[in-house]
Amino acid sequence: MAPEFSKRLGAALLAATCLTTTLAAAQPALAHGVLRLDESAPGDIDPATGNDNADTILSINLYDALVAPKQGGTGYVPLLARSWSTEDGLTYTVDLRDDVTFLSGNPMTAEDVVFSLDRMKALGQGVSYLFDKVESAKAVDAHTVQFTLSSKFAPFVAALVRLPIFDKKTVMDHLEPGDTQMGDWGTKWLSQHSAGTGAYSVVSHNPQEETVMQRNPDYFLGFDEAAPDTVRLRYSLEPATVRTLIAQGEHDISSQWLPPEVMSALAKGGAQLLSEPAAGAFYIKFNTRKPPLDDANCRLALANAFDYASALKLVAVSKDISQGTAPTGLIPKGLMGADDESHTLKQDMAKAKEYLSQCKYTPSDYTLDISWIGEVPLEERFALLLQANFTQLGFKAEIRKMPWALFASQVTSPETTPMISQVLNTTATGDPDALLYNMYHSSAAGTWASPEWLKDDQVDSLLDEGRTETDPEKRDAIYHQLNDRLMALAPSINMYDAQEVFAGSTRISAPALSDPEKKFPLSPFGFTFRLIDVKD
Amino acid sequence: MPPALRAVLGKLITTLIVLFGVSILIFCIARIIPGDPVRIALGPNASQDMVDALRAQMHLDAPLVTQYVYFLRDVLHGDFGMSLYSKRPVIADIAQFLPATLELMIVAGIIMVGVGLPMGILAARTRDRWPDHLVRVITLLGVSAPGFVWAVVLMLIFAYFVPIFPIAGRISNSFQIPQVTGFMLVDTLLAGNLAAFADAFRHIILPACALAVTGIGQSARLTRANMVETYRKPYAEMAQSYGFPAGRIARRYVFKPSLIPSLTVIGLDFASMLGGAFLVESVFAWPGLSRYGVNVILVKDLNGIVGTVLVIAATFLIMNIIVDLLVWWLNPRFRLGGRS
Amino acid sequence: MKKAFAILLSNPLSVLGLVLIAFVVLSAVFADVITPFPSHRGAVVDFANFNQPPHWPNIFGTDLVGRDLFTRIIYAYRVSLLMGLFVLLIAPPVGTVIGLMAGYMGPKTGYALNRLTDVFLSVPPLVLAMAIMGVLKPTLTNGMLAITVMWWPWYARLVYNITRAERVEGYVLAAEVIGASKWHIMFREILPNCLPAVITKMTLDFGFVILMASSLSFLGLGVQPPTPDLGSMVAEGAKYLPDSWWLTVFPGLAILIAVFGFNLLGDALRDMLEAE
Repeated sequence: MAPEFSKRLGAALLAATCLTTTLAAAQPALAHGVLRLDESAPGDIDPATGNDNADTILSINLYDALVAPKQGGTGYVPLLARSWSTEDGLTYTVDLRDDVTFLSGNPMTAEDVVFSLDRMKALGQGVSYLFDKVESAKAVDAHTVQFTLSSKFAPFVAALVRLPIFDKKTVMDHLEPGDTQMGDWGTKWLSQHSAGTGAYSVVSHNPQEETVMQRNPDYFLGFDEAAPDTVRLRYSLEPATVRTLIAQGEHDISSQWLPPEVMSALAKGGAQLLSEPAAGAFYIKFNTRKPPLDDANCRLALANAFDYASALKLVAVSKDISQGTAPTGLIPKGLMGADDESHTLKQDMAKAKEYLSQCKYTPSDYTLDISWIGEVPLEERFALLLQANFTQLGFKAEIRKMPWALFASQVTSPETTPMISQVLNTTATGDPDALLYNMYHSSAAGTWASPEWLKDDQVDSLLDEGRTETDPEKRDAIYHQLNDRLMALAPSINMYDAQEVFAGSTRISAPALSDPEKKFPLSPFGFTFRLIDVKD
Repeated sequence: MPPALRAVLGKLITTLIVLFGVSILIFCIARIIPGDPVRIALGPNASQDMVDALRAQMHLDAPLVTQYVYFLRDVLHGDFGMSLYSKRPVIADIAQFLPATLELMIVAGIIMVGVGLPMGILAARTRDRWPDHLVRVITLLGVSAPGFVWAVVLMLIFAYFVPIFPIAGRISNSFQIPQVTGFMLVDTLLAGNLAAFADAFRHIILPACALAVTGIGQSARLTRANMVETYRKPYAEMAQSYGFPAGRIARRYVFKPSLIPSLTVIGLDFASMLGGAFLVESVFAWPGLSRYGVNVILVKDLNGIVGTVLVIAATFLIMNIIVDLLVWWLNPRFRLGGRS
Repeated sequence: MKKAFAILLSNPLSVLGLVLIAFVVLSAVFADVITPFPSHRGAVVDFANFNQPPHWPNIFGTDLVGRDLFTRIIYAYRVSLLMGLFVLLIAPPVGTVIGLMAGYMGPKTGYALNRLTDVFLSVPPLVLAMAIMGVLKPTLTNGMLAITVMWWPWYARLVYNITRAERVEGYVLAAEVIGASKWHIMFREILPNCLPAVITKMTLDFGFVILMASSLSFLGLGVQPPTPDLGSMVAEGAKYLPDSWWLTVFPGLAILIAVFGFNLLGDALRDMLEAE
C-alpha cells in the first residue's frame, strides 16, 4: 500500500514537472552484467603513481603482476611468471609465461618487465619504495628476466605483487616531452588509458566521478560466465547516497569507509556484508621523544589503561562482522611473527597503575594532546575514548582535530609531532617488513607511518635481520622476537586488527569477500572483478 | 571609440590587473597553507630520496620568486602543471570539471532569478497584505538553512522516500554521450538524443534547486526591499497619484530602477556559487570544480589550488563585468553620459 | 521611535521573530540550568548509550559517543551567537566605510579600493581561511577573524554600488552646492540610504556565518571539538541518514529556528528604519 501510494504520488509530481514527463519511459533499465562499486576519490589508473586503496583495485584489474597472493591461503603464487628461483638471495631469475598478450595484442615479454621496473623506479612514486633494494632487471631471453638486488631482501617476491607489467611498445608510442630522456614515461597518456594484460580495460576515466572498465575478452586466464561485462568504480559518494543507492538496487558494493552504523542499517534491510582482512591494524601512536611519553613505563601504563572492548564495540557492524578484531600484539594476526589468540590484549587498570608508579613523571604535570584526522570521523570517537581512559590514570588530555595535510607535515619533526596520534597502517604486500620497517626503524622516522619516532637498537637490528634472512622459519622467529620487544617498549597501542567490511547488494556473489576458504590474505585482492558474479 | 566599447575595454584591463594580483596572492597562500604536498602525494612509505626528487622536479626547492617565474612561464604556455591529486595535468581537470559546475550554476541561477524576482515583485506590489506575508515566510525559511541542508532534505524526499529523481551524477549509465561542450544538457541536444537530455535534466534538477534555495530568498527579499524604496520616490508617487495602472507603474517606474542594487548582489551571489557549491556537489556526487577545489586544498595540491583559484577568480571577475555592464545599461544617467 | 516600535509589534511575524530570538538567546544564556547533562558539552563518552533515538531523558537522542544531543544543541547556540555577533559587528562597518569611500572619494581612490575588494572577493573564502590558519593558531577568535576578513568585501561592493547611484541624486547635489564636507555627505547624506540594504544583508548573513563557521571547523579552524557546533553536527550527522535521523534533524532545526528568528527581526528592523 505505502509503496503503491508513493509511486502514484511520485508519478503525479513527475507529471507536474513539465519537462521531465517525456522520460518516464526513458528510465534506464539495469544493463546486463554491470558491477558498481565506490571508493574515495581520486582514482589513479596508472599503477606506477597510485598508492591508495582505490588505485590498487584499479591496478590489479587493469594490470597483472608477476606474482599474486594465494587465494584461500598464505604466500604467493605465479601470475605472469611461471616460476622463480634464487641461489644467493641477490639474483632472482623469473621465468615468464609465453601465452600472454597485452590489450594491444603485443605479446608480453621480458622486455616489458624490465621496462616496467625501470619506469616504476624512474618515476619514484606510488609503491616504488618496495624496489629500493632492486638494482636492475635484465632480459636474459624473451621469457626470462633476471633481477639483481643491491643487498639481500627477503620480501622481494612479496614486493613483485605490486609490480604491474606495462606494454612497453604501446607506452613508447605515447611518450610526451618531459624532464627525462624517456620524456614523461607516458604518464600523461597512462593517466587516461590502460596498457596492461589485465582482465579489464579502461573505457573512460574521470578521477573524481568514476572509472568505467570493460572485460578484456582475450584475458589469458579466462572468465567465469557470470563475471561482470562492465565495471563502474565511482568515487567519493556520500554515505547517505550509497545507503540510498544500495537500498534501491542501483549500487553493488560499498567502500570500506561507510560508517559501521550505515552498514548495519543496510544489512538489516537485506544487504549482505562482505569482508576482507586488511593485513594491518589501527594504531594509537605515542611520540616517544616527548615527556612523559619518552618513559616506557608511562607508555605501558597508558597501553594497559586502554579500553579495547569499547573500541571493538565502536567498529562492530553486526553480531558476526566487525571492522576490527581483538589484537594480540603490535604485529597484526595473519602476518609473520603475530602472537596467537591466547595473547589477546585487554584493559588492565591494576597493571596500568603499577607501570605508572614506575614512571619517572607525575601524570598530573602533563597534558597529553590527542590528535584525530578531520577526514576520518571515527577517530573523534576514539580520541574521546582515549581521553576518558587516560584521565582515569590522572593525566590531563586534550583533543585536537587536524586536517590530513597538516598532520602529514607535522609528523616530519619530533617537536611538532602530536603526542598521541591515530593511524591505520596496512602492508602493501602482505609481508611484515612492508608494515613494520617504516613504522619502527629509526631510519624511517618522520612520516605518518611513524609518528612514534622510535629509536631502539634492538628493534632496528631485528628489522634489518628480518629483511635479509631468507629462511621462512628463521624469519618467523625474528618477527616473534620483534613483537615481544615492541610489546615491552609500547611505542604504540594496537586498538584492533583491521578488517575491511563492505555492504553489498544481493545481486552479486563474491566468494573472495565472503567465503573464508576463498579469501585472499591481502586486500584489496578480493576486488578482483573477474571473481565476482553478477546475477541477471 | 564608443563609450560602451571603452567601458568594456577598461573593465577587461582591470580584470587582468586583478587576476595578476590574485595569482601572486594565491601563489603565496598555497605555499603558506601548512602541509607538505609531496609527502602527502607520495604516501608514508616513500623514502627521503623520492621526496627530494619530486620536490626538485616541481621546483619546490627553488626560492619563491623563481618558482613564481617558472609558474608564470608555464601559465603563459597554457600549462598549470600536473596535479598531485588527480595525477593529471591541472588543465585537463579544469576542462573536465568546470563545465559541470557552470552548468549547475546556470540552471540554479535561472531558478533563482526566475522564482526570486517574481516573488519579490509580488511582495512589493501587495505590501503588507497576505501575499506579501506569505512570500516573506517562504523566502525567510529558504534563507534560514544552508544550501547543503536543503540538498539533504531534497535528496531524502525526492530520491529516497519518493524516488522520482536520480540521486547521484549527471546522467544515467545507459547513455553514452560524446563530450563536445562538457555541458551535459547541450551535449545531449547536440547528439540529438532527447531521452538523454531529459535524463540529464532530471539529474540536474535537485542539486540546482538546493543550490538556488538561498539565492531565491535573497533575490526576492532584495527586490522587494528595493521596490518598496522606489515606490516612495517622488516620480513613483506622482505616477500613482496620476492614476496610472498599477502594473504599468510596477514595470516601468519601479521595477527597473530597483533592479540595480538587487542585480549587483544577485550577480555576486551567482558568481560565488562556483566556489561555494562544494557541499551540494558532494551530496549529489556532482563531479564539479567546486568539489575538486576543496579536495585539492585538503591534500595541498599546489598546482591544483593555484589553477582552480585562478579559474574561479576569472569566472567571478567576468561575471562582475557582466553585472557592471547591466547596471550601466539599466541606469540611464550613466548610459546617457551623466557625471562619471 | 515609539511609532517604529508600534510598527514592530503590529506585525505578527516580527513578534514571532522576537520570540524566537528571545528563546535562542535565553536558552544560550541559561544553558547550565536548562540542559539535563551540562557536562556533555565537553569530552564525555558513554558507549553504553550511543547513537540512541530520542527517549527520556535524552529527548533529542544521543550522539555517536553517547552524549545528550539536546544539551549539545543548546550549548552550540552560544558559539553560534558569538560567531554571528563578532563577524557582523566588524565586517559590515568596515565594508560600508570602504564602499562609501570607493563610491564617493573620486576615481583614483575608488579604483584602488575596488581592485582590493575584487582581489578579496575573487579568492574563494575557504582558501583565504586556510591561509589565515597557516599563519595564526586555530582558535575560536582567529576563526572569527578569518570569517570577518572574507566577509567585508561583500558589504563594500554593495555599498559602493548604492553610493554610485545615490551620488547623482538631487539631495547629494544640493548638499554639494551648499558646500557640505565630503565626510558629511558620505556619512550623513548617503549612508542612511544604504542602511536598509546593509541591514537586510546582515540579517541574511547570520545563517551564512554559522554555515561558514562549520566549514572552517571541519578544516580544523575555528570551533574545536568537543565544543559543540551546529553546522558540523548537521554535516557529520548527514552521513548517518536516514537511519539516525535525529543526528541531523534536531541541529538542522536549531539552525533554522535561530536564523529564521533573526531574519524575521531583521525584516522588522528594516521596516522601522523606513518608517523613521
